[in-house]
Amino acid sequence: MRDRINKLSKDKVYSYHDRVKVLRERKIEDTRDKAGYRPFMDGDDYGAIMPPEDFHFEPIPNHENGSWYGYEGWSRNFFKLMTEHPVFIDPCDAFPNRWMTTMIWLKGGKGFNPDYPYDHLKPLQKLYGIVPGIGADAHFGGDYHLGLEGGWGGLLLKLGQYRAKNIGHDAFYDAHERTILGIQNWMRRTVAAIDDAMEVEENPSLKDNLWRMREDTRFLIDHAPETLRQACQWIAIYNMASRTYNRDGAGGQLDELLRPYYERDVKLNRITREEARYYIACLLLNDAHYYQVGGMDEHGNDLITDMSYLILEAADWLDSSCNITVRVHENMDMAFLRKGVEYLFKNKNGWPRFSGDQALSEGFMRKGYPRELAVQRVAVGCNWMSLPGLEYTLNDCVKTNNARIFEVALDEMMRAGEPSLDRLWTIFAKHTRRAVETTAEGIRFHLKHQVHNEPELMLNLLSVGPVEKGLDITEGGAMYYNMGIDGTGIATVADSFAALEQRVVNEGLLTWDEMYKALKDDYAGTRGEYIRRMLSTANRYGSGGAADEWARRVSQAFSDDVVAMDDAQVKFIPGWFSWSNTIQLGKAVGATPNGRKANEPINHGANPHPGFRKDGALTAMSNAICQIQPGYGNTAPIQLELDPNMARDDEGIDKVVSYIRTIFRNGATLLNINIINAEDILKAHENPALYPDLVVRVTGFTAYFCLLTPEFRQLVVDRILTAS
Amino acid sequence: MGIVTDIQRFSLNDGPGIRTTIFLKGCNARCQWCHNPETFTLQPELMIYPDRCFGCGACVDFNSARMEKGLPPPREQLTLASAARCFSGALTVSGREMSVEDVMREVAQDAAYYASSGGGVTVSGGECLMQPAFTRDILIACRARDIHTALETNLLYPWQSLEELLPLLDLIMADVKLPDSDSYQLYTGLDNAQVLDNLEKLGASGMPMIIRTPVIPGVNDDETMIRTIAGQVAKARGGLLYYELLNFNPLGASKYQGLNMTDTFAGRKPLPEKRMQELADAAGQAGIPVRIG
Repeated sequence: MRDRINKLSKDKVYSYHDRVKVLRERKIEDTRDKAGYRPFMDGDDYGAIMPPEDFHFEPIPNHENGSWYGYEGWSRNFFKLMTEHPVFIDPCDAFPNRWMTTMIWLKGGKGFNPDYPYDHLKPLQKLYGIVPGIGADAHFGGDYHLGLEGGWGGLLLKLGQYRAKNIGHDAFYDAHERTILGIQNWMRRTVAAIDDAMEVEENPSLKDNLWRMREDTRFLIDHAPETLRQACQWIAIYNMASRTYNRDGAGGQLDELLRPYYERDVKLNRITREEARYYIACLLLNDAHYYQVGGMDEHGNDLITDMSYLILEAADWLDSSCNITVRVHENMDMAFLRKGVEYLFKNKNGWPRFSGDQALSEGFMRKGYPRELAVQRVAVGCNWMSLPGLEYTLNDCVKTNNARIFEVALDEMMRAGEPSLDRLWTIFAKHTRRAVETTAEGIRFHLKHQVHNEPELMLNLLSVGPVEKGLDITEGGAMYYNMGIDGTGIATVADSFAALEQRVVNEGLLTWDEMYKALKDDYAGTRGEYIRRMLSTANRYGSGGAADEWARRVSQAFSDDVVAMDDAQVKFIPGWFSWSNTIQLGKAVGATPNGRKANEPINHGANPHPGFRKDGALTAMSNAICQIQPGYGNTAPIQLELDPNMARDDEGIDKVVSYIRTIFRNGATLLNINIINAEDILKAHENPALYPDLVVRVTGFTAYFCLLTPEFRQLVVDRILTAS
Repeated sequence: MGIVTDIQRFSLNDGPGIRTTIFLKGCNARCQWCHNPETFTLQPELMIYPDRCFGCGACVDFNSARMEKGLPPPREQLTLASAARCFSGALTVSGREMSVEDVMREVAQDAAYYASSGGGVTVSGGECLMQPAFTRDILIACRARDIHTALETNLLYPWQSLEELLPLLDLIMADVKLPDSDSYQLYTGLDNAQVLDNLEKLGASGMPMIIRTPVIPGVNDDETMIRTIAGQVAKARGGLLYYELLNFNPLGASKYQGLNMTDTFAGRKPLPEKRMQELADAAGQAGIPVRIG
């Protein structure tokens, strides 16, 4: 944590834009400080800073293994942590503080509460390489309105009212009150720290800013925000506390959240457009949360407003890591979409990304939800959607390793003899079903016991139901349970089926036994390498041929299996997304018939393997991904690496806009784009420290390139080189 | 049936909107700077990239003994069938026989992108009019599907060949590479009289057109030449959308090696952006819109 007080010119008047420029440079310094510290590597940028060197937190265990669990354990430790948490002040910033650590890091690798073992699930989870998500936290969206309406004081009042109605739920209410009191303690200490800073800061304009910061912080301890500045600060405080609790990273529909405050400020003639940009930029600087802008209401009307533009403009000022998603639909203001594309190419920071309202909302309606609800389901996570405040999802936490499932099926068929493509498909479908059943069973276990492991003390406060019922959101507090199960390795599987079909069945260049022996030898020797190349040059997913059809079939079977797990209380929603687990998931899989060697990464998300087509045509790849959408409101994202020259003039921008509109008409759900050329990424790969401000979109999230481990950097580099 | 060198989808530099470009094999010119020498001849031909060879031996005998990595057999021992057995990329065949239906199957997959972007199909080469019937049939098939059509051509053939295609076309992109007959003869092997004649007729036809000049270092990268060509273009004008200067493309070097041909322009570099802008400014003096491609 660096000292930022009284470091700038004493005489200069810092405009709002000037301050954001300073903050941007300081963020680069903070990012450089974080490089090499494991907790900050290979994840979102988060906006966190390093804590002071002398900061040490001594937890209060409530279990014999030295860890803490349940309402009591989490709330007491969180209260203590917030009461002791360092305070950070930057006079250029509209808001005080940054988050610095999270309880799940402090907790170490103690795992799920050992009083609730799930050993009975582990053998099949291991066989299929399942990431079960048992004990996973956050990954659903709270509704900021619930906090903005009453502030911390209002939330405390609400807890008191429902405590009286729900006799016997004191553990729930005690824990949540303790949570808020801890946050308020931090805010009170912040007020005192701002007072101290005002004594030291000599620049009048920054001192004046500190005064406003102090007054707003003091006000927000108990009261609901009234101005845009206060609303942004309240969201920032909640975000920092929630990150510190369990690293929750869900945002919301930011333009609609902030619009009423801005419009009121404008009406009262107490804000300028530049000032509004500054507050929003400071909110985005505070944490690169997932926010959406735009979208449509239930009648298909466009929701883009002046606030939507302000958010993009503020992000442009900041020119840093951001996770803003532009919601794309047929009736949208096309100038706004174009503005988003312009910023994407101008800043080359991976924002905005784009979501497809039509496919997402219509997909969610297939789960039985009305349109007015479906259009509220927004992208508030890496690859995922959630109804703010209404839904518990475990999105992006639960994965099946479909490449591993394929390997299990192939082994079974070859052991039994009489191999054929039909038999392989039948066995693969059987194991897919079994893997999905095992995964669903794991999720049900999580829902039953997670409250005794890690209750959602922060997100419960912004959800409809938990406070009203006195139940944690994981154990029945939520309005809806739509549990996400993501498949992974679709290209690895589809390419494997297609290669077997082409080289073994149709062309007869290989026998099944020859192929299988080569796999088990990991394509060793010259003959093995020859077979590997033969298989890897067969038709590939993303090229517009037979492998696309295999992928569609694989996705359909997986999707059918997932939705078949529904019961009266809990529904399941399929997606295709690996997150950045492609390396780890690949290590669980031997050589596959697509020419992939043992332990190599599986494909990324729903993308084809690199080299899927000689011309690398985005259209061919996008068509393939559109066709494998599971279609129930979760995503199979398209991840692109584009050369900056592609949109170097207006015509180029127009072409990219047309491409985006077309893929969403064709059923795409989410589009993530990196703008970077091969030369730059190679230089940065060689010496990341020289590029502290290079931001890339790793999967659904953006990250500073220098904060990625070499393995992750290599993944990004490979994708960009292939695209080039 | 026709011989196709390549089909490139999501093509952004061969006309308006998002396009699919169909590169047909065969060219009547022999531009010394050409970065697509594999399109010169009409027939499929073998290309050899020794550095990709890992010595499996399959090109000569499936069961052969191990060979030296990076040393495929001499060209005279290899045939197109050898390439069919090679999966390393060391032996490839430039050109494959395709029917119009084959081509359109690929083209149709991006129809939605053409419609939303004002794009379509561009037939290119080589010189696509070396396969006039195949070109015509592709254009007819595109017309039947309401797909925007463009042709990239060198104008080095009798006017009648192009004239009969005009009703099937929405746009022509034509090259005027050099300003005078001598230099045309020297660098392409053909006279430019036909180019200028066709340019004039094309202008008179009113067909929307983009005229392009590849700017080659040491050949035509001076203001006088570019200004002269721009003047010729301005004279024809007609449906000219703009005149475009294309920077030298050095990416043909490995292809020349693969074909065992001499790359006369090996080692030359594209012009700096600033220089391209200076030339564009010179061209603009002819009073026509100019772009740098």
